[in-house]
Amino acid sequence: MLSEVRFEGVHKIFGTDTAVEDLNLTVNAGEFLVLVGPSGCGKTTTLRMLAGLERPSYGRILIGERLINNVSPRFRDVAMVFQSYALYPHMNVYDNLAFGMRARGAARTDIAQRVKETADVLGLGNLMKRRPSELSGGQRQRVALGRALIRQPKVFLMDEPLSNLDAGLRVQMRAELSRLHERFRVTTLYVTHDQVEAMTMGDRIAVMNSGRLQQVDAPETLYDNPANVFVAGFIGSPRMNFVPGRLTTAQGKTGVEFLGVTAALSAGARLTAESSDGEVMVGLRPEDLMWRPAAAPDTTVSLRAEVDVVEPMGHEAYVTAVCAGETVTSRFPPRSGVRTRERVELALNPARLHLFDARSGTTILQRPAVGGAESPRSVREARIDESAEGRSERPRQPHGRSAESRTEEIG
Amino acid sequence: MSAVQAPSVAAENLIVVPYRRLSVAALATNVVLILLGCFFLLPMLWMVFASLDSNPDWAIKLPSLTLANFTEVLSRADALSSFRSSLILAGTTTVLTTVLALLAAYPLSRMHIPFKRSFMLAILFASGLPVSMLIVPVYQMYVSFGWLDSLYATALFLSASSLPFAIWLMKNFIDAVPVELEQAAAIDGASTFRILRELVLPLTLPGIAVTGIYTFINAWGAFIIPFVLTYSPENQPGPVEIYNFMGSHGLFKFGDLAVFSLLFSVPVIVLYLFMSRYFSGAFNFGGAVK
Repeated sequence: MLSEVRFEGVHKIFGTDTAVEDLNLTVNAGEFLVLVGPSGCGKTTTLRMLAGLERPSYGRILIGERLINNVSPRFRDVAMVFQSYALYPHMNVYDNLAFGMRARGAARTDIAQRVKETADVLGLGNLMKRRPSELSGGQRQRVALGRALIRQPKVFLMDEPLSNLDAGLRVQMRAELSRLHERFRVTTLYVTHDQVEAMTMGDRIAVMNSGRLQQVDAPETLYDNPANVFVAGFIGSPRMNFVPGRLTTAQGKTGVEFLGVTAALSAGARLTAESSDGEVMVGLRPEDLMWRPAAAPDTTVSLRAEVDVVEPMGHEAYVTAVCAGETVTSRFPPRSGVRTRERVELALNPARLHLFDARSGTTILQRPAVGGAESPRSVREARIDESAEGRSERPRQPHGRSAESRTEEIG
Repeated sequence: MSAVQAPSVAAENLIVVPYRRLSVAALATNVVLILLGCFFLLPMLWMVFASLDSNPDWAIKLPSLTLANFTEVLSRADALSSFRSSLILAGTTTVLTTVLALLAAYPLSRMHIPFKRSFMLAILFASGLPVSMLIVPVYQMYVSFGWLDSLYATALFLSASSLPFAIWLMKNFIDAVPVELEQAAAIDGASTFRILRELVLPLTLPGIAVTGIYTFINAWGAFIIPFVLTYSPENQPGPVEIYNFMGSHGLFKFGDLAVFSLLFSVPVIVLYLFMSRYFSGAFNFGGAVK
């Protein structure tokens, strides 16, 4: 029943526009994989290729071991929930749910039974005679979901299914979708531009940008070890701060100089590659940039900043401050009492820094994995590896073994 | 929920609209519009009054009531046969035009076709061409085919002339049906035939009805084409018959003319009322998307 989905070197070209470029992605059997990225990044095109609504220009798409490039949508055994729901407006809820089974020639009694089961799961039991126009947004969403669920397909495809719901309902449906997946364990490819949906629902998250896959990882890994500036900036709210920095070496220890301070890289952190000329992009998550009076004891670096904007959120406050000419955002405790124009001291744990190559935007810092230990190799060796593979300019997938083996311990 | 809140919101954001002053421009506009309205309404008023008048003439006057005009017209064979001819002509044209327009409009709406835009513009241009421009060569063509005085052959040319606009109209109706519905059905496992039968046909029904009614009304009132292409009295449709009332029957029978005109406009009025139901939102795609 469970099937994995594989994209092998898939391209989709519309005229002169490349919507999807060299996509290699495996959705494991029973996995809930979230495909996330900004508008126009190719995520919906990827989903539509899997559904059979678009044909890949190059490459292979497989469901299980079956090559489906040339299989028409009706024979792919996938079910899709559209962003617009695409309910049949002239049919009532019962007929909407039953449509797929009727199309496949199921017996009347089987259909009635399955419709009832599905309706019970989704709480649609008393709406069977209603037309879509007589349903609320949330109910329509449930019918769309039910129409996919009733089929017991090999793969679920969801194209931003929650984006038309209001905020409260969205949170509720998010939990419900997770619960349904927990229960039925159908391989699911879920497209969204909402990073919160991605983080909360996905077993793994695939981040796309400009038609290219940037990184595929578990949500926490993606958050803690983003492969490049794009992923780092896309995942996390408020956004990660990026400031220019420079690698320094003093007394044999590598550090990074930024915002007028120099921080030594913590023991265990490894540079996966030297930045070409020492110029780096330093990434600071707002929650790692703390208010000194509320900071943890391991925040050994202090920064002076002038508060520009305070945005109270209730349980915390986002404070935008100017520090050495750069604007940074940090998360303050809710009632810190700081005001605009006030000078504050920010505190930082150097172990929480992210470093990216200033030019390529690729991460150059591998932070110690929990319990991870692998044999150190020199930076030079690592670079030889990279040029040999001819992919030094391309974003790396850091969950791969090769990325970890190309590391060198510093300090 | 929003309906409950609406009154209070409206009260808070109350916008006071001042009484509009009667400007010269507004006055002139209204006078012109009233005059134009009279041009349409007065003949109709005459038609109603004269049909019930025992002694009608050119003037619009309150009738001395009688139904004699009705009984006379309904007993005339040529009046009844013209109804039959009009029905055959308009019915055939409607069926032919609607079916062909549907078959042409669906791919034009859904498929990638090279030069589609130019093609649609050509269709729009064609729908604006006056038919009378073509009537002489068409007459010669019908003579050489031996098709003259055949109602069905006449319907063929009526269909050809009404197709461009019908295609244009139908395409817009099909455009309004979200293509995602068809994609959803395809993923649901439906065959192309099932999609056409269970989705496309029911969802384009309002469009089919409007196109059909519009074509029927036009064909029902068509004058020049049947006037040229038919000649025997039993094949003359209504509009030609009205012309005959005025011309070849010698002296004017105002009462008969009014009754015939009135009876002849009844189907059109009924169909217009029916069509307005489609336009007033009795059918829509509510809940399909969003």
